[in-house]
Amino acid sequence: MRLSTKGRYGLRALVDLAAHEEGEAVSLARTAQRQKLSLNYLEQVFGMLRRAGIVAGVKGSNGGFRLTRDMDEITVKEVLEALEGEFSIAEDAGEDTQDPVRNALRELLWDEIDRRVDQFLQEKTLGSLVREYRRNLEKDAAMDSI
Amino acid sequence: MKVSTKGRYALEIAADLAMHSDSEHRESLKNIARRRGLSEKYLERIVKMLSRAGIISSARGVRGGYCLAKDAREITLLEILEASEGELAPVPCLTRETDCGIECGQCPTREVWGEMWEIIKKTAGEVTVADLQSQAPSQIQI
Repeated sequence: MRLSTKGRYGLRALVDLAAHEEGEAVSLARTAQRQKLSLNYLEQVFGMLRRAGIVAGVKGSNGGFRLTRDMDEITVKEVLEALEGEFSIAEDAGEDTQDPVRNALRELLWDEIDRRVDQFLQEKTLGSLVREYRRNLEKDAAMDSI
Repeated sequence: MKVSTKGRYALEIAADLAMHSDSEHRESLKNIARRRGLSEKYLERIVKMLSRAGIISSARGVRGGYCLAKDAREITLLEILEASEGELAPVPCLTRETDCGIECGQCPTREVWGEMWEIIKKTAGEVTVADLQSQAPSQIQI
């Protein structure tokens, strides 16, 4: 049961970008550097986020990417769906609908997990991740200065 | 993001044993495989994992075979998944150390994956094999 690297690294880079955005575009190279991710790879991932209308590219010497909306209006669900497709823990588990055991598993387990995770991802915003991230960075900085 | 076939078949085996066996009447792998439409060889590997975890019991001999090692009401689906599914967490770094380049304390996403994992575990921990059994009463006896 694994998320792909696109979902994992894409969300991580997006939180980094949003945390460093101050009304202007953030260079993807900086995000790549801070998050120790390949720039090439991030360019692909941000292409997907751009097509999904989550970020916009900005050209020019101070170019890069910026969010298209307030970060509290972007849900983790839409970010992951842009990168991974729709979340389903066992999407092909119901292929044999005649089978009572498989049907029972689908109803009691798989659909229930999907439903709860979906709700969680829908309620979780990029903004809440960014604030969490900033708090962690401050905590770390405070520890370092002791 | 998907659960592997190993985890799914492990759940099916446990439900099948709950419906077709008890400690007096053990069931053969051959019959389970036939009912489930799965290969015996593959099931053998999964059954071994479930035995090792103390979820099912096996016996050799004329009246040998498999049955659940505990009451079906006491076996949660989480237990079965943990015994059979190698990669239960949505990201690998929740269960083991991985080298992703940054410190876990500075990871922007560790908490969201952790919460997602807790939801998956909690949901699977709330359902028992007995629940599956009563949800699938129309299983045709073979």
